[in-house]
Amino acid sequence: MNAPALSASNIHKHYRLGGRDIPVLRGVDLEVQPAEIVALLGASGAGKSTLLHVLGLLDPPTEGEVRYDGRPVQSLSIRERARLRHSHTGFVFQFYHLIPELTALQNVLLARMMNTSVLGFWRQRRQARDAATAILDRVGLGDRLHHRPTQLSGGERQRVAIARAMLAAPRVILADEPTGNLDSTTADEVIELMFELQRERRIAFVLVTHNEDLATRADRIIRLRDGVVID
Amino acid sequence: MIDAFGPFLALRYLWRRPIMLLGILGVTFAVWALLVVDGVFTGFVSEIRSDVRRSTADILVTDLPHETAYEPLREVIESDPAVTLSAPRLRHHGLMRARLQRDGGLMTSPVNFEGMTMDSGYALLLGIDPLREPEVTELEAWIERAPAAIRHGYHVDPPGSTALDESDPERRGYLRVPDRAEWEARGRAGLQRPADVDDYRSQWPGFLAGWRRLPSMPLRPGDPVDLITARFRLEPDGSSRILTRRMPFAFAGYFATGHRLFDQGTILLPIETLRTLLGHDITDEASLDIITDVAVRLREGLSTTEIHACKQRLLEAVQALLPPGSPPCTVIDWQEQNSVFLRAIDQEHSMMQLVLLVVMLVAGFVIYAMLHLMVIQKVKDVGILAAVGGSPRGIGSIFLICGLVVGGIGALLGALSGWLSVHYLNDINDWVYATWKLSLFPRHLFDLPIIPVRLETDWIIQVASGALLLALVVAMLPARKAARMDPVNALSYE
Repeated sequence: MNAPALSASNIHKHYRLGGRDIPVLRGVDLEVQPAEIVALLGASGAGKSTLLHVLGLLDPPTEGEVRYDGRPVQSLSIRERARLRHSHTGFVFQFYHLIPELTALQNVLLARMMNTSVLGFWRQRRQARDAATAILDRVGLGDRLHHRPTQLSGGERQRVAIARAMLAAPRVILADEPTGNLDSTTADEVIELMFELQRERRIAFVLVTHNEDLATRADRIIRLRDGVVID
Repeated sequence: MIDAFGPFLALRYLWRRPIMLLGILGVTFAVWALLVVDGVFTGFVSEIRSDVRRSTADILVTDLPHETAYEPLREVIESDPAVTLSAPRLRHHGLMRARLQRDGGLMTSPVNFEGMTMDSGYALLLGIDPLREPEVTELEAWIERAPAAIRHGYHVDPPGSTALDESDPERRGYLRVPDRAEWEARGRAGLQRPADVDDYRSQWPGFLAGWRRLPSMPLRPGDPVDLITARFRLEPDGSSRILTRRMPFAFAGYFATGHRLFDQGTILLPIETLRTLLGHDITDEASLDIITDVAVRLREGLSTTEIHACKQRLLEAVQALLPPGSPPCTVIDWQEQNSVFLRAIDQEHSMMQLVLLVVMLVAGFVIYAMLHLMVIQKVKDVGILAAVGGSPRGIGSIFLICGLVVGGIGALLGALSGWLSVHYLNDINDWVYATWKLSLFPRHLFDLPIIPVRLETDWIIQVASGALLLALVVAMLPARKAARMDPVNALSYE
């Protein structure tokens, strides 16, 4: 059997606040198989986003181990972790998190500029641009390539964010309430798009959501309460 | 290796922030100011140094004991392989009293012993050998330069000097003016003279005055001037007396070395005459040809090391000739002869550069403030970049590159505008004067026909590189702050 695309064992995460130790995650175990969709359900403050950040190597766990394709990643250098975050995972956030100075195309292209030298990117700039254009076209923004985030609607911005996450062909996409800031119609469209892309590209998804209906569409639901997996 | 997103984002951040122009302008201004002000100052300094150099012999043997004779020293000095020729010098202080004829009456210029100012007639009397001096210094050129300097400085047409044109060595050795000039001057001064000029032979030794004396003593060749010297004489009973001597001279012309202090205070007169003024009877065979200094001309093209070695040899050779127990004499080159003056100029130059460097530091602070502000504004972007896979180093490089671009463009524009300003400074000054009657650099204050400017390529490179380095250094702090930012906190930053 292949190693899980992403696994976490006995993850603890504490924060220091006002001299006190606040436990946010308390011994979370998790496995995400390749091309699997896992929904993380829980109330606000349950530790869903923190777990997502730990899984995406944005935040180190206080205790426990994260593995990508069975390989422990905690001991890697900062630069290697950044490289791995770029190649292995993609993030989609609730508030899109696009760079306002860049157009839709440039925001997506940014994913190709990570861990590539200026010269290296210059050599493959045409292919990179074609790939970014193709994926923006795929998410329905072929005619919005040169628009800045402020010129795009919420749904369009999230599509750009999805395209950016997909461009580096990651093994796992970590989505933190991707429809939380959208109206229901747009949210449905965005979710449909994400699932279509997931099926096409065989990417694993970890989907943080409050939405029970959305969670039921996942292959598996993990419920978190007070930093502990309860189901 | 710099990740590609660093320069890509840095350029876009800058492009979308016109306020960064302020940083570019700051650096541009600082570099421009450093180049232009230093260019003008260096031009002035260079001009002053060349003026000082022109007024000074290659080497001067000085601090000689009283009653030192020239001839024995000449032999050892001129036997040195690095020496071409030497000339005796005798320095003393004195007063000039011109007999000026105004409204038909005979007048004397006021003498003020207390003030000892130039207008009071005080002068540094420099006795020279008019036959040897032109071979050691640029005496002929000094005399030739005077009319132009006077015309430019005082807008009057001065008479030329013929002091060195005399073919008779006897007359030339005493700087005598032509017989007719002295005869006419006698007439102007109401002094006795033969009725016919052909019956007259000049009687007074001549002297040359620095051209800056002209306002206080406007003289024509041949005009009679009394030179007065004073010295102490020790009496047998141990007391001392002041002995004064007065001697009539004929004004032989002005000279202009360009060295303001020299041209203001110095009177050149025949060394033999000065010896007489100081009480030496030159007709006495036993009388010493006393000197205070020896001016030395060196061979062309000697290196600094060779000049230093020559000075050392001369020092030893001259000291060996002096009576036992004599205090050590001194052998100094032209820069050492004016060391206080030149050091003062260099000091001013350094101070000016320091002040301008503060302008550069202010520009650096502006860059720092703007980049710091940019980092605060882009906290969320830092989180986004980290999430997309940007390394801390790559994220920091964005702000480092911003600083480099601002500093680089500023340095380039500053260097270019500075170079152009210096290159066309005189044209700009003329245009400003013609258009608005404003003189950016009042040339008459410095007696210069044009504003002297000198911009060294090395200095341009140093200033531009310094600006770039400063921008890099000040950008490091914001870059470090961005690189060390916690991505999770950055993403949730509002």
